[in-house]
Amino acid sequence: MMADGRLAGRVALHGVAYLTLSFILMPLVFVTWLAFFAQEIPSFPPEGYSLKWFGAIANNRNFVTGLWTSMQVAVAATAIGLALAVPASLILARRQFAGNAVMNQFLLLPLVVPGVVMGTAIYVFQIETEIATGLPILGSLGGLVAGHTLIVIPWTVRLVTASLAGLDRAAEEAAQSLGANQWTTFFRVTLPAIRPGVVAGALFGFVTSFGNLEMSLFLVGPGRITLPIAILQYLEWKIDPTVAAVSVLQIVLIAAAMIITDRYVKLARVV
Amino acid sequence: MAHVSQRPVGEPGNLTAAGLLVPATIFVAIGLLVPIAILFRYSLNAFVPGKLMVDALTIANYVKFFTDPFYLQVLWRTVRVAVACTIFCLIFGFPLAYVLARTQSRHKNLLVMAIVLPLFVGNAVRAAGWMVAFGSKGFVNASLMGMGLISVPIEIMYTEMAVVIGIIAVNMPFMVLTLQSVIEGIDRNVEEAAFSLGAPPMTMAIRVLFPLALPGILAGVILTFILAMNAYATPVLLGGPKFQTMGPLVFSTFAQQNNWPFGGAVSFILMTVTLILTVASSLLIRRRYA
Repeated sequence: MMADGRLAGRVALHGVAYLTLSFILMPLVFVTWLAFFAQEIPSFPPEGYSLKWFGAIANNRNFVTGLWTSMQVAVAATAIGLALAVPASLILARRQFAGNAVMNQFLLLPLVVPGVVMGTAIYVFQIETEIATGLPILGSLGGLVAGHTLIVIPWTVRLVTASLAGLDRAAEEAAQSLGANQWTTFFRVTLPAIRPGVVAGALFGFVTSFGNLEMSLFLVGPGRITLPIAILQYLEWKIDPTVAAVSVLQIVLIAAAMIITDRYVKLARVV
Repeated sequence: MAHVSQRPVGEPGNLTAAGLLVPATIFVAIGLLVPIAILFRYSLNAFVPGKLMVDALTIANYVKFFTDPFYLQVLWRTVRVAVACTIFCLIFGFPLAYVLARTQSRHKNLLVMAIVLPLFVGNAVRAAGWMVAFGSKGFVNASLMGMGLISVPIEIMYTEMAVVIGIIAVNMPFMVLTLQSVIEGIDRNVEEAAFSLGAPPMTMAIRVLFPLALPGILAGVILTFILAMNAYATPVLLGGPKFQTMGPLVFSTFAQQNNWPFGGAVSFILMTVTLILTVASSLLIRRRYA
């Protein structure tokens, strides 16, 4: 009787769990399905299947420039984010000082400030800076990269500090006792040892930037939109296999980044 | 050489340490805190049609929001949707988080990836998926009609239900991953102890598992609630232009009407209401279980 109850409980538990998992994946399945439809109208059942919509992406200027802009912004923001976050993580993970935890939380702040609020705030900031300096910032690639760097930093700090926490210091001590100075020790010993964390931080930063929509909405200028915004604007007008095909492109790109990350750091440990 | 090894090895000096930490800190401070401060200052300015923003020190924008039934209704709708989404995420996310935390499977990483991938794919793409399913000739209606359950397509797109379903799917991964990390830290033996004392599974879950998982539940609820309150793409695409919530309202006030002072005020009201409800709900959950 008691064992029956536990068995029923286990079955119910797994039933709900896998139902939830399929619910999370369902939108991705539907959008991928539509990308291969033969007809343009998203009506079920499809009349047949075709690959032509992937070719149609190239004819949509917004998708092509959007993909290019998103790539540029994500790469630049990730590079700058790493340059700022790796040194900071080194101190946060290694040094015990008053306010250490506060500083750590502070650098993770962009992760919890809502995208819309961040977008409006950075928008007015860039306007003020533009007025003060006379430089064209709003809607420029630089302005967009600056905003995206903010959302890359938390992921990099999180993953690099995590990988530093598990690092044995013996190798660094050995290097220094053999006469290596701090910089040599860092570049030849510490950095190679925390490479998995840095790579994972870079890839997480990249996908966060690449997929960002809410903040970017405020920062893009005419003729310079990112891929998620191009997709959003298209969807506000209509849904068809072309926008589904470009969505599949984004899904594949991000899945590839995840699989590469997983080779360096087990995802289950860092998310 | 000697003075280098005086210091604990691998630790840079104070000056170097500060030099390494400061750039990132300044970047976040200037990039995030200063803009939020400027936005708050903007929200106290006046808006004159034709002249856009005029310097002032007034709470008129806030008064306008709280005295206009239209805006109050937008706020109420946003809160209602966010609360519903958060509750569903908790109820359906817990079993998945538990299975994920306790699985011995070699494919655990695959499971984690299946949960993380949608999270990074972005909201517009996921909304597109639901649009395929919910349209009048979409998967749901075509299936129901094929089975003879309905004769005319039911309206799912541009309803509150579509938005709620969409936001639940967007926020679920956050809830599951947060809960999972906490459940992993709970000793299996406590569960076994409850079972060996004759507790049925639900009793064990309510009396043992939930109280122990409380920090995770709290963190998950807060995160999903904040995200639901601030949702943008999902209400815009699945709710349509008539389904106004706070996120889209901020954007349209700012970018389409160019009313920066009022847009700033709406931003701040959104942030403050979210914060107050978050604190209130965490107090409530703590009282319920502690």
